[in-house]
This record gives sequence, structure tokens and C-alpha cells, in this order.
Amino acid sequence: MEVSWLHLVPLLPLIGAAVCGLVGKWLPKGWLYAVALASVLLSFLVGLRAFLGLGEGVQLFHQLAFNWFSAGSLRVDMAFTFDRLSGALTLVVTGVGFLIHVYSVGYMDEDPGYWRYFAYLNLFIAAMLTLILGDNLVAMFVGWEGVGLCSYLLIGFWFTDEEKASAGRKAFIVNRIGDFGFLIGIFVLFTQLGTVSIAQINSAVIPLGVASLAALCLFIGATGKSAQIPLYVWLPDAMAGPTPVSALIHAATMVTAGVYMVARLSHLYVSAPGVMAVVALVGTITAIWSALIATSQNDIKKVLAYSTVSQLGFMFIGVGVGAFFAGTLHLITHAFFKACLFLGAGAVIHGLHGEQDLQRMGGLRKYMPSTRTTFLIATIAITGIFPLSGFFSKDEILAQALHTRAFSFLTLTPTGSMRLTWLGPVIYAVGSFAAFLTSFYMWRCYFLAFSGEYRGPESVHPHESPPVMTAPLWILAGLSVLGLLLGLPPSWVHGTALEHWTWEHFTEGVFARPRGGAPGEFSPAVGFGIALLVGWLGWASSYTLYFKRGLLGDEMLSARLGPVRRALANKLYVDEFYGRVFVRPLWALARGLWRVVDATLIDGLFVNGIPALIAWVSAMARRFQNGDVQRYAAVTALGVAALLYVFLVRS
Amino acid sequence: MDFFHAHQAQHYLVLGALLFALGAAGVVLRRNAIIVLMSIELMLNAVNLTFLAFARFPLVANSPMGSFLSGHAAVFFVIATAAAEAAVGLAIIIAVFRSRTSVNVDEFDTLKL
Repeated sequence: MEVSWLHLVPLLPLIGAAVCGLVGKWLPKGWLYAVALASVLLSFLVGLRAFLGLGEGVQLFHQLAFNWFSAGSLRVDMAFTFDRLSGALTLVVTGVGFLIHVYSVGYMDEDPGYWRYFAYLNLFIAAMLTLILGDNLVAMFVGWEGVGLCSYLLIGFWFTDEEKASAGRKAFIVNRIGDFGFLIGIFVLFTQLGTVSIAQINSAVIPLGVASLAALCLFIGATGKSAQIPLYVWLPDAMAGPTPVSALIHAATMVTAGVYMVARLSHLYVSAPGVMAVVALVGTITAIWSALIATSQNDIKKVLAYSTVSQLGFMFIGVGVGAFFAGTLHLITHAFFKACLFLGAGAVIHGLHGEQDLQRMGGLRKYMPSTRTTFLIATIAITGIFPLSGFFSKDEILAQALHTRAFSFLTLTPTGSMRLTWLGPVIYAVGSFAAFLTSFYMWRCYFLAFSGEYRGPESVHPHESPPVMTAPLWILAGLSVLGLLLGLPPSWVHGTALEHWTWEHFTEGVFARPRGGAPGEFSPAVGFGIALLVGWLGWASSYTLYFKRGLLGDEMLSARLGPVRRALANKLYVDEFYGRVFVRPLWALARGLWRVVDATLIDGLFVNGIPALIAWVSAMARRFQNGDVQRYAAVTALGVAALLYVFLVRS
Repeated sequence: MDFFHAHQAQHYLVLGALLFALGAAGVVLRRNAIIVLMSIELMLNAVNLTFLAFARFPLVANSPMGSFLSGHAAVFFVIATAAAEAAVGLAIIIAVFRSRTSVNVDEFDTLKL
């Protein structure tokens, strides 16, 4: 249904960003907060109204805001589509975004750059909504780049600290590498299909080669934005930004853009089953890889960052095996509990005056009861312990991976041997191990921070955060619990009012069906049983190691696993590896270009050479102008004589 | 013998050219400003001689350019101009001498500024 008010959703935060950024410095603080919060809240309300308007008769709202540009057969509109998928995500972004705005009022109140902060945050919401609602790939790309920009600005928010500024640059540059792939994907689709509209791409019949190339290029973009192997290295460093930013951008919303993009273009990806396998594999490897690293990190934000990378891997497993609803369901539930975890970590850091090291925490349950309880709820949710939201979404992904038929007709060789039927079960096994690790490291984080005795310095007195910060925590914790309603298998609630709101039922018809057909019949007992076991096993191992002993648990692990754990604590040396293989050669190349091309050729030959030549010619010419009239007369006479010779004698 | 008796244009022209070259050399080489002025007079008069030679021995009979008198007229103009030039030149030399106490043209190099 064509409507005329959809543009308000991204426009309101944009206006908020403009007001905060342009005049925010001179506005009274209260007014600024009112503008920043109201713009997001209004956007949320518009989205909510639209969401409730979706029904049997109305599959989607669409608005053509304006024709952005047309060139030849290319026509790019600024147009928005609000369907069940983008609508739900709009609510998540504006809803969680609003809560984080509220939280930020408490967190950033004393920072002199608070007006800048809220301008960036509003701008981010606007860009993210453009990404979600854009009805063509170019509009989506505008949002895609917009969120990248805001991410850069907010990671380097305290830009006087060189380390934080360079973390921002790292995020931006790594994302650029991915964005390059995204752009190539758009170009491929445009040249081959003649359109950039998502709806048209999703309804087109695309040849396998084109679909594979485009899907792969777009997925490279997703690995950058959603921090997957090999481009995940920026996300842990992105924790340099203010903690609410980590919660909003680097956990709940922006980093899930890649998953959303794959789900949005589900028909394209289904047309390229080989790329689907790549997506699922990259997701699996990322999930296990970063879960391993997370077990040995001591910075509370780093633990959560690697956890985010790992959970994003789970989402890619979901969309990769063709269970788009499961991947996006995990996206939504993850937004709730990971935002809650990050805000909880922020409250801890705030209460400890900037302390982020788990080794100097401990026993905080006495000092910050609200933070502790909400953190506990979110931890239960993420570790996949029944019946909170994380259990249903993660279990759904793994169960779908086990039973998927998306790869059963793929072969490694042209002759048809080496069928990839084993891929699903392998992904399931590795994913289940990653889920166990998730449970282990999250409980470790919880026990080290909140159990035992306080290990920090005497001078720091932990204290609970103000209500403006704890209220969003409680709401998000509530959502982490309520998210289970979205995740309930439809068969459980068949015939009740809840059935309509289960995500699987709700998004029916939005996503493409993978080739090879629907997944095989589940045996719920096995799947659920293993999922339950994995979650509790993680808790149990973490409990025995850390609950009583605290830091001694880490020492025991180190004693047993010495070099392995040291490697994990050093992030498996990936940054060092990239530094050796990519960054240093690039530096060397840049230095060579600087010395040879810039300093010698451009500066030496052109910039300084031409003036030197002019100066030399001038010095020569200056000798002729010595003020001696007789010399002038002599030269003139000689010149006339020469002319006469030429014209009279020679001719 | 022909050379001395048959008065022809080239004799006057060669003499004019020699006088002109002498004058030019004086203008370029001499240091005293008054001598330079005199050398200019010499050059002008060399030109006058050339004019008169062509008036006496026209290259083209009944030239459409006018009668032989046009050469004489040009000479009168040149004499008048030379007189004016000498007056102005001497005045300049006197003015320069007052400020520099010298009539040596080597020392007048303010043109290069």
C-alpha cells in the first residue's frame, strides 16, 4: 500500500541530529535531551502505528519519497518499504535505540561533548532506518555507509586519545574493504538485471553465475559490516567508544545489517546455493573462533565484543542454511539481551569509575543489585538456558542447520561426487560447541564481575547507577525474557493468540524457500535436549571453575592449557598476522610511494623543479637588465642590424 | 677616376652609413653624456645626408611618391627635431648633473629599478 508518511521514520531522527549537531552546543541541556529523545521516540511511535497496520490485507507499506537520480536505464528512488521484516527491525532499532538514548542521558551527562554525542547517535538511528527501509540497494547503501560513518565518529568519540582515534580509523578502513565488495555486488546486479530495486531482484529469475557473483560480493560487504571472518578485527577495537554506543551500534543494530541484508535478498541467496554454503561456513568458523577468544579475555567489553562476533556468526549460520526466519529471530533477541549486557557492563564501568578489567571487579552484586539482576537475566538469555529468548533463537538456528536440505544437492566436483550432505550436521556440531563456549565465557564474565569478593582498589567505591540508567536495563531484561514469545515454535502454541506473533509464523512469505526444500522433520527431543545440555554444561563448567575460586579459575586453566590459553588471550594473534601480511607491506608500499613518487618525483621534479627552472631563467635574464642605457642602445642597434640583414639581404 | 668624378648615389650613401656607424659607436661607447648627444646629432645628420642623396638621385624617375622635394622636406623636419632634442637632452643633462654632479652615463643606472 502506497503511503505518504513513511519517510517520517528516518526523517525525525535526522532532524534531531541536525538540531543537536548544529545548535546543540548552545541549547540548554534539558532541551537537547528532549530533542534527541523525542525524535527517536516519535519515530518509534510512527513505526509502531505502521506495524499495527500490517495485517491480512496489507502486506507492506511503500512510499516513493522522491526520485533521487536517473541516468539512462538506471533509476534510483529514495523509497521506503515497510514490511514485516523491515517493520520489526524498525521497531527494534528505534525501540532499543530510544532506551539507549535514555541510558546515555545518565552515562554521558558529565561529558563536555554530550551534544556532539547525541547528534551522532540520532544520525546513526536515521542512517540505520534508511538501511532497513530502503527499497533499493542504492538507498540501502546510503544507510550502510551512514551507519559506518556514525560508527567511526562514535568509536573515535574521545578523539584526543590516539588509541581510540586509531580504533575508529581501523573500523572505518576495514569496513571500506567490505563496502567495496558490496558496491561491486550492486554493479553486478545492475549490469546483469538492469535494476537495483530489492523487490525486482527478489522476483527476478537470476542465472546461477550472476547470482553467485553478486551474492558473494554482497556477502563480502556483510563480513565487513557484521564483523565476520576475515574482517571481524575492527569490532573488538570498536569498544574504545562510549559503552552505550557499543550497545547500540556494535551489538544490537549496525553489526546485524549484514544479516538483515542477506535475509532481505533471500531470493538472490537462494538462487546461489554455493554462496549460501559459504555464508553458513563463514558464520560457523566465526562463531567458534571468536567464542574461543572470548573465553580468555579480561576486559569486560572485549568479552562482550567477541561474544557479539560469535553471535553474529550464529545468525549467519541461520541465514546460510536457508532458515532466514531463524537468523533474523536471533538478530532480534540478540539485540535485546546483548544491548542489556552492554548497558550492564556500562553501568559497571560507570560505577567503578572507568574500570573495565574483570580482574579488578568481583562481588559487585552487593553494590549494584539492579545491574546484577538484569545482567543475570541477559546472561541466562544469551547462554541459551531454557526458557529465555536466546534458547529458542539459537536452538532454532542449530536445529535448522542440522536438518537443512539447502546443501544436499551441492557437490564439490563437477562429476557429482562429494555431496555436501554432511555440511549441515558438521555445522550443527561445531555450532553446538560454540554454544557451549558461549555459555562458558558468559558465565565466567558474570561470576568474575558479580560473585565472590570485590578485588578492586580501596580508593574506588562501587555504586549503583542512577535510575535513568537502570530503567532501560530493566526494560531490556524484560524484553530478553519476552523475546521467547517470538521464538516459540508455532506447533507449541497452535491455535492460540500467541501463534500469530511467533516469528516463524509472522514472517511467513517474507523469505524465500531454500532449494532442496524445507528442512527434514525435527526430532524435538534430541535437538532441545542437546541444546539444554549444552547451555547447562557451560554454566556448570564455569561455575565449578569460577564461582568459588574467582581469578584462581583462570590460573588453573592457564596451568593446564598454558600456550593455548596464552594464544587465546592474545586474540590468536590475528591482529599481528594482519599486521605482518597486510598492514606492514602496505606501509612499506606507502613509504616507497611517498619517498619515490611524492618526495622525489612530484615534490622534487614538479613542485620544486619548475620554480627552480623559472628562477634560473630569471637569473639569466636579469643580467640583461642592468640599467645601463648604453647597453640597451647597443642591443637595440644590434637587433635592428640583424633584422635589416634578415629582411634586406637574405630575402 | 670614375669613382671621384661621377657623383653617384652610392658615394653619398656610403658616407652616410659611415657617419651613422660612427655616431652609433659614439652613442654606445662614450661615457660623457654631452659627447653622446653629439653622437646622436652625427647619426641624425648621416640620415639627412642619405635623404638628400636619394632626393638628388631618385631610384625611380618620376616616382609616384612625390617630387625630389619630399626628401628635402624630411631633412628640415629632422633638423628641427634634432634641435629640439638637443635642447631637451642638454636640459636633462644639466638636471642630472645637479643631482649627481656627474655627466658620466655609466653612473646613470636607475632604469633597472
